[in-house]
Amino acid sequence: MIINVNYQRMDVEIDLNIKQLFSLLKCDLDGHAVAVKQQVIERQKWASYQLQENDVVSVFQAIAGG
Amino acid sequence: MLTDPEVLRYSRHLLLQDVDVTGQEKLKNSKVLIIGMGGLGSPAALYLAAAGIGTLIISDFDVLDVSNLQRQIAYSTADVGKYKVLAMKQRLEALNPQIRIRSINKEMSQEQLSMELSMIDLVLDCTDNMHSRQKINTACVQTKTPLLVGAAIRMEGQLMFFDNKLSDSACYHCIFPQNSDESLNCSNSGVLGPVVGIIGTMQALEAIKFIVGIPSELKNKLKLFDAKTLEWQTFSINKNLQCAVCGAIS
Ligand SMILES: [Zn+2]
Repeated sequence: MIINVNYQRMDVEIDLNIKQLFSLLKCDLDGHAVAVKQQVIERQKWASYQLQENDVVSVFQAIAGG
Repeated sequence: MLTDPEVLRYSRHLLLQDVDVTGQEKLKNSKVLIIGMGGLGSPAALYLAAAGIGTLIISDFDVLDVSNLQRQIAYSTADVGKYKVLAMKQRLEALNPQIRIRSINKEMSQEQLSMELSMIDLVLDCTDNMHSRQKINTACVQTKTPLLVGAAIRMEGQLMFFDNKLSDSACYHCIFPQNSDESLNCSNSGVLGPVVGIIGTMQALEAIKFIVGIPSELKNKLKLFDAKTLEWQTFSINKNLQCAVCGAIS
């Protein structure tokens, strides 16, 4: 299925969850937040949250600077 | 009650229906704590002092370095080597002698922070490291103090608002639970001056709106600013019932 991650089109297998998406992105889980359709998904739900076709996913890091 | 000099000084607020005399009096009676007098704190403190926040408490323990001047626009070259809060206090008093400014020139312990928070209406987190951000968030949740978070690095910024007086408020830890400082800050990564300026200015704007009572869209939201495209993205944050900081507090 097609999903959109940080403005990039990705072709992924059906039922991919957020945790699996992180390993696909070769991105470490710590320090990141994930939002699906503009809603931040709680960390403890990442392993069970299954992405849907055409989901718009945003992955971003905490910024500490100021 | 506003004095005659205040009516003159704040006339452009008084002409605004959303502020008016009632709003200006709220600003006059408010107490705001700004933690961090760097690139975010510079515009935030200048705008809040100019707006007539009755009591501004400014906190930082750093000495001004010449490399700060590229983005910390409240200071001048002659201030290099001075404590930032002392230089800032002088700058703000010169800007608006009709308000009270108190400076805290050291890193506050959790207890001291909680004590300060119990006496104020709103905190602006303008710090530059994760440890301080987590400490401020914890104290704000415990004391039910509204918290406006700003952050910026490279060419991106983040803005969040948590009204901890509300039982359904999320907190900073709900979205960013890590304590380590491996996330980037301005000392180990670059930043464009106007990017911190934009985020610090947004913090000042939201602070004024909150105190006056102008509804804000920022509650339980995270806004990401991309300085390359000038795009803002907005995300909703739900209170995480398993959050180690706010989860047990209802
Ligand atoms: Zn929380």
